[in-house]
Amino acid sequence: MTSKNLGRATLAALPFVLALLAELAVHMTVKDRLPARLAVHFEAGGTADGYMGVGAHLLYTATSLLVLGALWAFIGVNGKLYGRSHRWFIGGGFAVAAFLGYLLTAVLFVNVDAPEGGPVDGFPLRHIVVALGAAVLAGALGLAASRLVPAPEDPRDRDPASRDRIVLADGEVAGWARGIGAWWVPVAVLVLLAAGVTVGLAQNWFIGGPLLLLGLVAGTFCRPHVTVDRRGLTVSGLLPRPRVRVPLERMAGADSRAVNALAEYGGWGYRIRPERSGVITRSGEAIVVSLTSGREFAVTVDDSATGAALLNTLLDRQRTGR
Amino acid sequence: MLFRVDPTSTVPLGDQIAASVRRAVAEGAVAPGERLPAARVLAESLGVNVHTVLRGYQRLREEGLIELRRGRGAAITAGASPQRARLLEHVREAVADARDLGMTEDELLALVRGELNA
Repeated sequence: MTSKNLGRATLAALPFVLALLAELAVHMTVKDRLPARLAVHFEAGGTADGYMGVGAHLLYTATSLLVLGALWAFIGVNGKLYGRSHRWFIGGGFAVAAFLGYLLTAVLFVNVDAPEGGPVDGFPLRHIVVALGAAVLAGALGLAASRLVPAPEDPRDRDPASRDRIVLADGEVAGWARGIGAWWVPVAVLVLLAAGVTVGLAQNWFIGGPLLLLGLVAGTFCRPHVTVDRRGLTVSGLLPRPRVRVPLERMAGADSRAVNALAEYGGWGYRIRPERSGVITRSGEAIVVSLTSGREFAVTVDDSATGAALLNTLLDRQRTGR
Repeated sequence: MLFRVDPTSTVPLGDQIAASVRRAVAEGAVAPGERLPAARVLAESLGVNVHTVLRGYQRLREEGLIELRRGRGAAITAGASPQRARLLEHVREAVADARDLGMTEDELLALVRGELNA
C-alpha cells in the first residue's frame, strides 16, 4: 500500500474508530450504574421493547463500527472515487459514524440507573434529532478533513474519438442484447418473499406488504437483459416495466471496463452512489456510460466491448443527425 | 449479441436477423446454451415486426443453430459450433451463386453429390 493509500484508508476509517473509542470511554465511565439487561430497542413512542446484555451490546457496537470502518477504508482505497466524489465519500463516513456513534452511546446513557424493564422515560425522541445534527456537523468536518489527503486523479480517457466503434452502413439499424442472469437473484427474491410473508403473518402487513411487493418487483428481474439500440441503454426484466433506461440524449460516451462491485458500488443489485449508479450483478467487465451530467451509469455484462462500441456508434450518428 | 438489419436491402429482414445470429456463432461471440433476446424485445429494439423476428428465429431453428422452447425462449443449441455456422454461410452463398447462374435445384444438388462422391 502506498503512503497516499494509507492516508486515504486511515481518514476513511478514522470516524468509526473515534466513535468506537467514545463509546468505550462512556462504557467504562457508567459501567457500574448500568442494569444487567440494557434496553436497546424502543417502539415508536420511545418505550423499550427489546433488551440485550451489557457485554453483548458492547460486542455488537464494536463489531458494527469496526466492520463499517473496514468497509469505508476498503472503498476509500479501491473504490475508484475521484476528486469531488472522494471528498463526499469521506464526509459521508464521518456523518454515518457520528449518527451511529451518538445513538449507540445515547442508549448507554438512557440505561444509566434504569430499573429492570427499561428506563422510566424510555428513549426520548430528541436523541434522534441530536444524532442527525451530529451527523451533519461531522459530515461537514469530514468534508473539510478530506482535503488533508490528495484526492485521486481521474485516470480515465475522456477523448470520445479514442473509443471503439462498429462500422454501420447508412440506414442500417443495429441493436445489441445480452442476458445478465446471476444465480443469486432468484435466491434474493425468495428470501424477500419469505420475509414478507413471515413478517406479515407474525407482526403486521404494513412492513410485510411492502417487503412482499419488493420481492415481486425484484422477481420480474430474475433473468434481466441489457439492450443497446437507437433508444439508448436499457436493463429490463420479464415485463416491459419496470425497467432502467438511459436514453442516448443523456450520454456523453460509453466504455467497457472492469468494475468492482463491493469497492465501487458498495454491493450488488441496482446501486446508486455519489457520482455513479448501475445495475451490478457481479464484479468484472461492464458497460460504463459517462452521462452528460458528469455522472456514470454501469451495467455488468459479458461482451461489454461490443455493447459500448455500438453505443458510441449510435451517439456519433445522433450527433451528425443521420 | 449484435443484430443489424438494413431496411433498404433486398434481403428479407427475417433473414438479416438470422444472418446476425449466424455471424455471431461463426465468430465465436456466443457460446452454446446462450439465450437469444425474446422476439418482442428484439422487435422493439430494431423497430421491426415481432413476426419478422420469429421468421428469422424459425429459420435458425431449421438450420439447427438454435432451439425454441415454449416459455423459455430461444437458445443456441449444444451443437452450434463456429464451424457449423460458417458451413451454413457457405451453403447459403453457394445457393445464391447457383441462382444467379440460373441453375436448377437438381443441377446444384448433382454438383454437391458429385463433390461428396469424389
